[in-house]
Amino acid sequence: MDQIVRYFFDFPLMADYWPDILRGFLITVEMSVLTVVVGIPLGLLIAIIRLYGIKPLNALIIFYIDFFRSIPQLVLIVLAYFALPYFGLVLDPFTATVCALAVVLSAFAEEIFWAGINAVHKGQWEAGRSTGLSFTQTLAYIILPQVVRISIPPLTNRAIGISKGTTLGSVVAVPELLNVTSSIQSNVANPTALTVGALLFLALFLPFVRFTRWLEQAYAHPRS
Amino acid sequence: MSELVNTFFNLDILREVWPLLLEGLWLTLALAAVAVPLSIAIGLAIAVAQDLHSKVLRMVLVAYVDTLRAIPPLVLLIFIFFGLPFLGLRLGEFPAAVLALTLNGSSYFAEIFRAGIESVPQGQREAARSTGLTWFQSMAYVVAPQGTRNVLPDLVSNTVELFKQTSIASAVALQELLRAAQIAQGLLYNPTPLVAAAIVYFLMFWPFVRLVSRMQNKTVMHSA
Amino acid sequence: MAAQNNIGMDGGDLVVIHGLHKSYGTVEVLHGINLTVKKGEAVVIVGSSGSGKSTCLRCINRLEEPTSGRIIVGGDEITGKNVDLNALRRRIGMVFQSINLYPHKTALGNVTLALRKVVGLSKAEASEKALKYLELVGLGHKADSYPAQLSGGQQQRVGIARAMALEPQVMLFDEPTSALDPELVGEVLNVMVRTKDMGMTMIVVTHEMQFAREVADRVVFMEKGTILAQGTPEEILVSPQNPRIREFVTRTKS
Repeated sequence: MDQIVRYFFDFPLMADYWPDILRGFLITVEMSVLTVVVGIPLGLLIAIIRLYGIKPLNALIIFYIDFFRSIPQLVLIVLAYFALPYFGLVLDPFTATVCALAVVLSAFAEEIFWAGINAVHKGQWEAGRSTGLSFTQTLAYIILPQVVRISIPPLTNRAIGISKGTTLGSVVAVPELLNVTSSIQSNVANPTALTVGALLFLALFLPFVRFTRWLEQAYAHPRS
Repeated sequence: MSELVNTFFNLDILREVWPLLLEGLWLTLALAAVAVPLSIAIGLAIAVAQDLHSKVLRMVLVAYVDTLRAIPPLVLLIFIFFGLPFLGLRLGEFPAAVLALTLNGSSYFAEIFRAGIESVPQGQREAARSTGLTWFQSMAYVVAPQGTRNVLPDLVSNTVELFKQTSIASAVALQELLRAAQIAQGLLYNPTPLVAAAIVYFLMFWPFVRLVSRMQNKTVMHSA
Repeated sequence: MAAQNNIGMDGGDLVVIHGLHKSYGTVEVLHGINLTVKKGEAVVIVGSSGSGKSTCLRCINRLEEPTSGRIIVGGDEITGKNVDLNALRRRIGMVFQSINLYPHKTALGNVTLALRKVVGLSKAEASEKALKYLELVGLGHKADSYPAQLSGGQQQRVGIARAMALEPQVMLFDEPTSALDPELVGEVLNVMVRTKDMGMTMIVVTHEMQFAREVADRVVFMEKGTILAQGTPEEILVSPQNPRIREFVTRTKS
């Protein structure tokens, strides 16, 4: 038991490293936020473009969403960081990680929005069009508000999953939380840093996880 | 153009590193072969246990599931591989990776199975119990089979995710496909191995990703 | 609109359907429908399921695309090339069997949406007009309710208000009460009677025979994609000559 406390909960030992840990945490948060803020709107945009049904574009879109859902995120990050320079595109580790994750999130988000669009009753389109609203107006005022509402639970779930991928940035040396705590652990030969890291990750993601659980309950009972 | 091919699709280099990549692929499949069935089994067990009328048990299980959903799998892996040895628990790369993947994977499968079980109407259980089946029998023969069918797309989707996640094992130098490709790339200063690995991943997972899309859109069309 | 004379249209004709054919793939469901509706007329289309009556109605505002034939509404050919469909649809009101109220908007919101985005009224003008039509259908006090808070009959009445608020030239009713509980049918039919009394041109597809008998100026009987007969309610529903129609009427007598 003492061993556990000594090795995993030696918080005083961490005192000096606190600023570094905090900096790492902030970078993790920054990456997660950027990933979501770029990925989800991008996914929605692609879904809307797909709705307009331009055949060659659609084939491209389907390839895009299949490709970025088939390749592991870590592979994409590594590719973005190591392979793109050969094209003349040199991304720093932070940008490479965020770009890779945002693109993956956009692919999953597109599928979620697409399912949502198809789930809206066809009669909603008919009602809108029959009153003279154009395709775009019907989409904007009638269909999309309903799509967004249905999509929120699966979207939040997926966004959490992909945001956790920011830890993969540690593999390309982004100074995010896992990387920082990992280094501290090997420097002082004490894994308390890892405990602190894990607790901070919990603090960041657990609220969202609980939120999605609450969302599911809320959606199980439609407003009446 | 030939510059591009020489850099990214260099057949000579491919010929040289192919055995290495193949071994890596083998290890990837081995990892998944162990982690996936374990995760599914544990996830199903957790979901089924939540159906028991024990509030305490449910709270404990929900806490377990939510905690593991909130902690990034790479953090778990680093913790297990670098932290546990301090307690005398020195796991090899392979077991450590399996443990991390299973802990994370089982929590996601638990949620999926739970949703599936909850989607089965109460009347089904009532019918089963009224014919004398025990709680376990009605779960095993009536509820769980129907629940599983309802969430089949999500189950397949999550299995693909788990397979993709095996690539995080590269962070602890387990020589699965991604690591093999990185080593080759480092040795030969050419990104062809990475590209080859990406293509292998794509070919492996794309059929399932397409299948999941088709399944999800099919179920959605019916309800519209 | 003298150019339309080649199909024998006279000044009082509001809706003219000429030679309407509709096929789904190789299956033809409408075999050349010819129908004229005068301004202010209430035409009720009856027939058994699969007779094509809903399909025919939905071709009028091109929610179904005619395979061939011409449809003219208020002097404009809606089936023409390069036609501004959205502008034409403003003049045709539709009430649906599945009601199709927008769940994320209040009753008022449902009615004002097209008024603001298609007609271009300001928020205040649209609300005023919408409220007027909601009062007309007896639901002024429910303006801020969401569809989920309304009964099926109330929802459909809002649906009627939504269509009427655009002040169309003709109102199409596609089995408006078929999806409602029996007790709720009456309140919707009452509103439809009031609509007729206001002088609105109406084309109604329905199974409600009593409504047809009492309200219709003309009844059209469709069977297997053609019009078998049309005439006054007495001629078609009370003492039908055609044996097939007689069989239908006796079967549906409730």
